[in-house]
Order: sequence, then structure tokens, then C-alpha cells
Amino acid sequence: MISEEQQDQAALYALGLLGADEDAAFESELRANAELRDLVRELREAAGGLALTAPSLLPPASLKQRIMGEIAVETKRVVPMPTRRASFGWVPWAIAAALAVFCGLLALDRVRLERQLAETRAADPLMQTTFYTLAPSAPAPADAKATVAWQPGRQSGVIRISNLPAPQPGKDYQLWAVDAEHKDPISAGVVRVDKNGVAQIRFKPVEKAEHVKAFAISLERQGGVPKKEGPILLVGTT
Amino acid sequence: MAGTASAQQMLDQEMIARIGRRDQSAFSALYDRLSGPLYSLAIKMLGDPAEAQDALQDVFLQIWSRAAAYDPEQSSVFSWTVLLTRSRVIDRLRARGRRSRVVVASTEDTLTDAVDASTVESAADTVEKNDEAARVRYVLNNLPSEQRETIELAFFEDLSHHEIAARLGQPLGTVKARIRRGLLKLRERLNTL
Repeated sequence: MISEEQQDQAALYALGLLGADEDAAFESELRANAELRDLVRELREAAGGLALTAPSLLPPASLKQRIMGEIAVETKRVVPMPTRRASFGWVPWAIAAALAVFCGLLALDRVRLERQLAETRAADPLMQTTFYTLAPSAPAPADAKATVAWQPGRQSGVIRISNLPAPQPGKDYQLWAVDAEHKDPISAGVVRVDKNGVAQIRFKPVEKAEHVKAFAISLERQGGVPKKEGPILLVGTT
Repeated sequence: MAGTASAQQMLDQEMIARIGRRDQSAFSALYDRLSGPLYSLAIKMLGDPAEAQDALQDVFLQIWSRAAAYDPEQSSVFSWTVLLTRSRVIDRLRARGRRSRVVVASTEDTLTDAVDASTVESAADTVEKNDEAARVRYVLNNLPSEQRETIELAFFEDLSHHEIAARLGQPLGTVKARIRRGLLKLRERLNTL
């Protein structure tokens, strides 16, 4: 049971209105109270939604370039650079001997790490997710787009489509997985967009697709077809 | 919003997991999805496009460096980034020794004038976000006016609950109760709509 006072604190905490001391005291209370943690999470979600009430604007395209440039520089910066050291006659021999021993240890360690990595990959489906960006091809509108998050291990994915107007009566959009080991694209089902041209759907191809090269959306007869017949509207690879 | 993770929330979490592994394409996709709402929030609070862009840059660099530490148990990716943005904006407001210039009353016209027309999001691009925004606005507008006003002051302005009480001329307990009731109602109604 959460008291009214705890609810007061939770609401202020979710909005970042508590002072540093109050914050610390409330966080220690949170650690001990799972129900209170759930409440704070939900209040945070409600507070986060308030951002959507601000008038809708987009930043200029140059900002994205600036940010992508920054992270590219930072990524390069973290690669360790070789450093120069003062040398003495015996040092190279000592280093060579140490390296020889070290390489042996590294080789053993590498085998162990590769095994661990394989185990982690098998256990963590997120590490197996591949993203596909689908771009429009005529006759789809130029601003139509879709993103697919595909998990081969689970043989399922999520597609998010935007700016694709609803098809004419008697027609449906159908999603296809283009797999290297199948002659024909594999149906992943009919996808229906809402009145705003948006869809967000979980899908599962009708056959196993282990080497998906691309996903595509075509315009088909209502209800979908077993083998692609209609024109491709969106297609994309990783 | 709160409740069972939606497909979009799962997609966001997958993108954050990839960003944590230094995947620049996932970062680029997340930027495309979130930069509009986060920029809109920053500009509403700061009232200055150049400052809002600097704040947004800070936020996305922080997302890049802290993605591996993101905890889905604490908030959705969207709420996490909104709260990061709000926090960076407040830092800027405090550093420059001034308060938010934007009052909670609608400032849409002023803000649109302040920004180059090319940066205004096209109707087609914002359809989906606007649906969600319309839902939140509807719920917010249907709260009792004193609760709505207090929540908006608390969220969009750099004011403590003590300062809100002083500004509204209300006892501190009343302000706390309005924030609590308003936010709980907001949560409840967003979950049921």
C-alpha cells in the first residue's frame, strides 16, 4: 500500500522537482519498495508524454550531420594509439619474451572468449536483431518508408511503416522476406496501414527464413497471395 | 506510455541496445525518430532555436555515451530521452541565470515565427506523433484547470514546487496535491484511452 505522502513524493520525483537531499532519501525508499518503483515508472511515462504537447518542430538537417560527426570522432578517439617509450638495449628482448608468453595466454583466452560470446549471442535475442530500412520504389509515394527489426533466432520481427496510403478496395499490402536459400520471396503476411498510412506489426514468415537478404512490401489481392504477384512498393536491405 | 511494452517501445529498446554496442546506424535511426519531439520540447522551454539545437546535441551525445546504462525497468526509451532533454535544458537555463521565457499558455504562433519555415515538420511526417500528441493534449485539457496549470508549470518551467506555490499564491501542500492528483489522473486516463 502506498501512502498519499509517498504518492506526493513519487509525483515530485518523477518530475525532477525534489531537492538533492529529498531525492536521495526517496531513492533509498524506492530501493526497498517495488510497488513504489512501479508507480514512479508509470508517473515518469505520464510526465514524458507531456513533451508531445509542445508545438511540433523539426531541427535543421545540419544538426544531425554535426552530431553524427561528433560521435564518429569520439569513436575514433577511443581506439588506443601506440605510445613511444624510451628504450634500453635489454628492453626489446624482455618485451619480446613477455609478448611470446602473453600471446600464448591470449590465444587460450581468445578461445574461451569466443565460446562465451557464442553463448551470450545464443542467450540474448537483442544481439541477434538485424535492422532493414525499406525505401519506396514506384508507384509508392516518395516519402513512404518502413523499418524492420528482424530476429532470425526467433523467426519473427516487427515492421513499422509510415506515409503509405491505404490501398484501393480489393487490395492489400503484403510483406515478403527475400531469403538467399529460397527461390521465391517468403510471405510474412498482410500488413494493414491505418488511415494515416501508419502500421506497426509483429510478423512471422510462413516458412523458415535463415538467410534474409531483404524485406519487401508488394500490393496484392485482398487477403494476400501465397506467391508474390503484384508490384513491389517498398524494399530494403540492412 | 505506461503498461505493456508496445512494439514501438521494443523497437526503441533494441535500438538503444545496439547504440550501447556503438552501432551508428541504430543511433541515426533513433535520432530520426526522436529528434522532432525532443527539439520541440527544448524550444518550448528555451524559446530560442540555436540554444535548443545545442541542448539537443548534448542530449544525443549523452544518449550515445550512456545507452549501455539505460535501464528499461525505470522508463521507456522515449520517457528517458524526454527527461534527459528536460534536464539538459534546465542546466542551460540555470547556467545562463535566467528563467524560461515561455509561459505555459499556447505559444505556438510565436514559436513558429521564431523558427525557419523549413524546419517546421511536414504534416505527413508528424501524423503518427500527432495522434499521440492529440491524445495527451486531450487528456491534459480534460484535467481540472488548476491541476493542469500546476503540472505544466512543473514540467515546462524551471520552478521548484516551492516556487510554484509562491507563483500561484497557494500553500505548498495544495501544490503537491495538485501535482499528485493531476499526474495520477494523466497516467490513468492515458492507460485507458
